[in-house]
Amino acid sequence: MQARDSGALLLTELEVKRAISALAPADWLRLHKVARALCRNANFDAEDLLQEAFQRVLEESRQCSRTVDIVHFLVGVMRSIASDWRKARKRRPEMSLVTHTGTLQEVVVQVRDQRPTADEWLASVQEATCLKKAILDLFADDGVAQRMLEGIMDGIAGEELRSLTKLSQTQFASKRRLIRRRIDRAFPQEWKR
Amino acid sequence: MTREKNRRKRVPLDWLIDALVDDILATSDADLLKEAQADDDNGAAVARRAFERASRTAALRRSAASKRAPRGGPNIRALDPKTARGWLDEFIASHPETASKLNEAPAAGDQLSDEDVYGLLEALQKHGVLKQRTIDQGRR
Repeated sequence: MQARDSGALLLTELEVKRAISALAPADWLRLHKVARALCRNANFDAEDLLQEAFQRVLEESRQCSRTVDIVHFLVGVMRSIASDWRKARKRRPEMSLVTHTGTLQEVVVQVRDQRPTADEWLASVQEATCLKKAILDLFADDGVAQRMLEGIMDGIAGEELRSLTKLSQTQFASKRRLIRRRIDRAFPQEWKR
Repeated sequence: MTREKNRRKRVPLDWLIDALVDDILATSDADLLKEAQADDDNGAAVARRAFERASRTAALRRSAASKRAPRGGPNIRALDPKTARGWLDEFIASHPETASKLNEAPAAGDQLSDEDVYGLLEALQKHGVLKQRTIDQGRR
């Protein structure tokens, strides 16, 4: 329970537990919404992601600085876990047992080549293009939102994105909210309707 | 360089997810609560449940780890072999008579393996003769 070598800069396990237990209802909601967003297109469950993040923080494999807001810290942990899980899923080889003898020594494991075939690559590109179009189509009535979305999906963020849309800070925040709400309604879980 | 490489690896939907997360973080508590009410969203309860489960698992793991650790002192096996050897040398130098009474003590001139060193330190710890002073000195 004592602070580690880095001294009093890091929260102890007990302090982390207390800080999380004391979160306001809106913060619990916020964490769940972030987990759900990170699980889109990833085939894992928001509750599992949340549990893993809490566990890593409680077991101090990820330590929170006193100067960092606990919700932002947990969001960072979830982002990192989600990224690791996605990479692990891509790397995990597909294996199949090709024997019926039942003895371990005689089992032959076929590991599939993980590199996508040309067909698979094409299919995934086509799928991503269709999805991007479906998302943009949700805003067929709103040219500014479409322009903003295109910018976001091109990796533009912050002030650069705002100047692209020519919106004030408040209008920009409202538009981004509208985009999130409409996407959430159209795609409640993953990127599937 | 790596950052730029990682940036290029990202796909449009990754950027979109980032923007969605940023918006969730920027949304006020009141607006989030309103959204949850409008959507009949029980996310807060789901998150709490995940936390309770994580707390239980962390407590169970901690309890299992403390059962594995030897009582009355630090976990000798967590020391690196060089430090463990240093602790033992120091103890033998200052308590030659006690060290010779240990059943596990090797005959003079024997080369001690790391396992021997850990075993002896644990035996000393079990007999309560590996004093805190030695442990503290070993840490320096």
